[in-house]
Amino acid sequence: MATSSKQYKAIGEDIWKSRPEKTNAELFALTYGALVVQLIQDYEDYDEVNKQLEKMGYNIGTRLIEDFLAKSNLGRCSDFREVGEVVAKVGFKSFLNISPTVTHGAPPPPASPTSTVSQQLSGGSSFTLTLDENPLAEFVELPEEALEGGLWFSNILCGVLRGSLEMVQMQVQAVFISDVLRGDESTEIRVTLVKHLEEEVPVGDD
Amino acid sequence: MPPQLRLNAVAFVSSQNHPILIRTFSQPKQDELKYHYIAHTSLDVIDERITAAGATKSTECYLGLLYVEDVAVYGYMTPLKVKIIIALELSDNVVRDIDVITISQALHTAYRRSVANPFLRLHAPSDNVTDHAVVVSAGSQKWKLFRERVDEICRAVTLPAAA
Repeated sequence: MATSSKQYKAIGEDIWKSRPEKTNAELFALTYGALVVQLIQDYEDYDEVNKQLEKMGYNIGTRLIEDFLAKSNLGRCSDFREVGEVVAKVGFKSFLNISPTVTHGAPPPPASPTSTVSQQLSGGSSFTLTLDENPLAEFVELPEEALEGGLWFSNILCGVLRGSLEMVQMQVQAVFISDVLRGDESTEIRVTLVKHLEEEVPVGDD
Repeated sequence: MPPQLRLNAVAFVSSQNHPILIRTFSQPKQDELKYHYIAHTSLDVIDERITAAGATKSTECYLGLLYVEDVAVYGYMTPLKVKIIIALELSDNVVRDIDVITISQALHTAYRRSVANPFLRLHAPSDNVTDHAVVVSAGSQKWKLFRERVDEICRAVTLPAAA
């Protein structure tokens, strides 16, 4: 049977607590901030910066998933809904010590609402993560040009989600919907399942 | 009943004696220039106090009452030589040192948080590392949140009205 949400929370807590090496949060935030600013100075185009952050996140995600699966010992998720729960309650908790809330998207129209099995194979299901605190953006104030240019400061997180889920045979699209740094009410990431990937010979790192 | 401290103005001055932020809160809208002058003269007094303190390398130097010129001016120097100058309105209430120190530390924290903003260095020339003054120059739009934080602190100070 599916593990309950409380159990996921407990697993996440345990993993976080069991890690002996933790980093200073300020150092982490300052490092990430310096990275983003350097990217902006190098590329000078906010869309490009967003893409690069996502790419970097993708590379991180492909490696992070190994660590995650080893520590958490969780089996396959039965459906995309569960994926959302695990990502939010165990994933984010064990690495960043934050607990975003998950809101599941409506199931795609063709599949009948009661049959979750067929959803697994069809794309279109999604969940939204609402982060009420973001350790990456601890001290950040976005200047005007960044606001107008459309910078998503924490875009690396989208990449991490995409990379890690791809390694477990799910192709997803993760995008920011809103961000408090931009003046919105909350920080939200929407993760949409594109399709399940076939088991294939792993592609070499490009 | 906490003594009511009327905060008239707050000034932040960088290590190279460039003004970072000067905010005034006096009710009758006196010209801000007066507080610019006050901040300027305080710099001299601060230098005097520092040299008088001599070899004692004390960090987080609370400099106390600097001088009185129809407002009481208190000084506080951070380890990075950023000076925080507070002008309190003269009143009959005894102003405790500890209160002024607390206010200075709150202002210092607000300054530290704002300086940690990575976008502060966005338009600074990346090779010119030595000229920190360019980055912290006053009045620029990127200090908006800093101004708001300072305002909040000052409002909290003057708010404790008679219970």
